[in-house]
Amino acid sequence: MEYDENGVSIVPAELKKEIFEEARKDFRYEEYVRGCLNCGVCTGGCPPHRFFDFSPRIVLQKMKSKDPELIWTMMDEYVWACFQCFTCAMICPFLNSPGGVIAILREIAVRRGFESAKKVLKPYSRVLLKLTAYGNQLSPDMIQPDFFPDWGPHIGYASTDLAVKRKAIPMPTLQVTNLAWDVAPETMKELYDIFDEAGVFKIIEAVDPSLYEIIQDIVDDVRSS
Amino acid sequence: MSENILVIGGGPAGLNAAVMLSELGVNVALVERDSFLGGNPKKFKYKFLFPDMQPADNVIGELIKKAESGGNIKVYYSSEVSDFKENGKKFDAVIKSASGSETKTFDSVIVATGFEHFDPARDAKYSYQLFDDVIDIKDLERMMGENNFVRPSNGKPPKKVAFILCVGSRDRHVGNQYCSRVCCTVSVKQAIEMREHFPDCEAYIFYMDIRTYGFFEDLYWKAMEEHDVQIVKGRIAEITSGPDNTVVCKGEDTLLRGPFEIPFDMVVLASGMEGGPQSPEISSKLGIELDEHGFLKPENVTLSPFKSNKPGVFLAGACTGPKAISDSITEGAAAAMNAYTYAVKNR
Ligand SMILES: Cc1cc2nc3c(=O)[nH]c(=O)nc-3n(C[C@H](O)[C@H](O)[C@H](O)COP(=O)(O)OP(=O)(O)OC[C@H]3O[C@@H](n4cnc5c(N)ncnc54)[C@H](O)[C@@H]3O)c2cc1C
Ligand code: SF4
Ligand code: SF4
Ligand code: SF4
Repeated sequence: MEYDENGVSIVPAELKKEIFEEARKDFRYEEYVRGCLNCGVCTGGCPPHRFFDFSPRIVLQKMKSKDPELIWTMMDEYVWACFQCFTCAMICPFLNSPGGVIAILREIAVRRGFESAKKVLKPYSRVLLKLTAYGNQLSPDMIQPDFFPDWGPHIGYASTDLAVKRKAIPMPTLQVTNLAWDVAPETMKELYDIFDEAGVFKIIEAVDPSLYEIIQDIVDDVRSS
Repeated sequence: MSENILVIGGGPAGLNAAVMLSELGVNVALVERDSFLGGNPKKFKYKFLFPDMQPADNVIGELIKKAESGGNIKVYYSSEVSDFKENGKKFDAVIKSASGSETKTFDSVIVATGFEHFDPARDAKYSYQLFDDVIDIKDLERMMGENNFVRPSNGKPPKKVAFILCVGSRDRHVGNQYCSRVCCTVSVKQAIEMREHFPDCEAYIFYMDIRTYGFFEDLYWKAMEEHDVQIVKGRIAEITSGPDNTVVCKGEDTLLRGPFEIPFDMVVLASGMEGGPQSPEISSKLGIELDEHGFLKPENVTLSPFKSNKPGVFLAGACTGPKAISDSITEGAAAAMNAYTYAVKNR
């Protein structure tokens, strides 16, 4: 994708229209976008609104505008400011779901491998790998200070001597640190089929091709075992 | 022999219907649930009425005086219609009061059972009943009416007051999608009243649309031009408590400020109007239709807004939807005319 001097991607009008139509065709669209009083209740209750120039009211208004150009302006960065807490959906007097609209737009950004989506998903590559290749989400060896600053001042201590600490847990822990629990090969194969069917592998290929290759190697190994 | 007509409800609409019928020589039975006449304006001691700020007593007091000064009106206080049956083209009603039950036959009936104020405690985001200094427009009417405009939390005069519009109206969460029509004008009127009597108290109005329809718009302009009332576009998302015993309104100023959290000494919620429990009760007792908003349903909203779907039973005032006193009084007269015509035709 090409970018202008402000870092905004330059794309043909056709693509903008396609994206707009993809969002409108989503099966959740009618439920999420009803009408809008432009009242600002959603934004008043929205946590990121206090910190960024971000407003779920604007998201809903732009979506309702039917103007592909306006929707495109949100695709690069805007939609990623949302916490997906759905406070907006809980308090909107019209029963819209601005957070739901954002989910639809984000999914489009991910499916189409937009730069913004790649950037946002980068820190999750380890989680994606564990999840799709091994059926685990977090494993002990992922607990590292760099990745979990929000775990507080003891994260440094928690991330050392993992093998010993695992032994101290009074239940079967496989005595390994690269997995949280064991997933049987049969189960793994079923999981891979589900990921295939649901298009999960395709999405990973779009947003992170090198991660996709690593995952596919593991998948091939397990499938041929 | 003169006609007998039953009027249920002694607010502005029912009072005017009763007075007009009485002047025509009709025997009127006026059944009022409360121990006094005057409806909501009397109950909540409205002091000055929009649009012209005339004392409420000029209107309500005047009507009550006429209704109570004998003539052909028999007022039943603290009473209700406990049983109702059609009798050919006429109606048999049992009027139950403290002094017992009376059965009477009426030629026609006017229902003027009015509205109830939305209870803002039903919408948790406004913290009504949680914080003493969050009140609503009916509470403020009463405070002004009793010359007792102070912060409930400490008895001191407030220095900064917020009015929040559309409380309990235009919100699917509370089940009321409609606009209550008078609350914009009531709030603007109250802000002006407040600034006139307490000039060092600032007034803010948070709105999503200002609906001071028709000539009521004059008050809206006056509020800004003569009284420096601050008008901010944005519906409040939450009311919390703040430092120094304040209440904080949190929302989005959709035009200027973006996010805001402003502390106030007092917040006034513009609670809307509802059909109340009386509307479904009367609907099933008299066999007349209720509409999807919880008010009584006219036979034809445009052609005959004062007629119910049952011949001989007429409607007047806020029982068919939010409206101002002038409209309620007009409908009282229209219903009186129609009830009289029906009675004379079926004599
Ligand atoms: C805060 C506030 C301020 C307002 N200020 C103004 C203003 O300044 N100017 C203006 O024009 N309008 C004003 N209004 C609007 C005004 O209050 C209404 O238009 C008016 O009260 C409607 O009159 P009504 O007779 O239809 O109903 P109500 O006033 O509600 O009277 C109905 C009467 O019927 C009685 N009743 C109910 N059910 C029964 C039953 N089953 N049996 C017997 N009796 C029954 C009730 O006790 C009551 O006395 C204001 C409204 C609000 C909410
Ligand atoms: S879901 Fe997103 S837009 Fe909605 S309130 Fe939460 S952070 Fe704001
Ligand atoms: S709360 Fe609902 S109606 Fe109000 S601005 Fe947000 S989306 Fe629109
Ligand atoms: S009259 Fe004004 S405050 Fe009342 S419901 Fe309508 S818009 Fe809201």
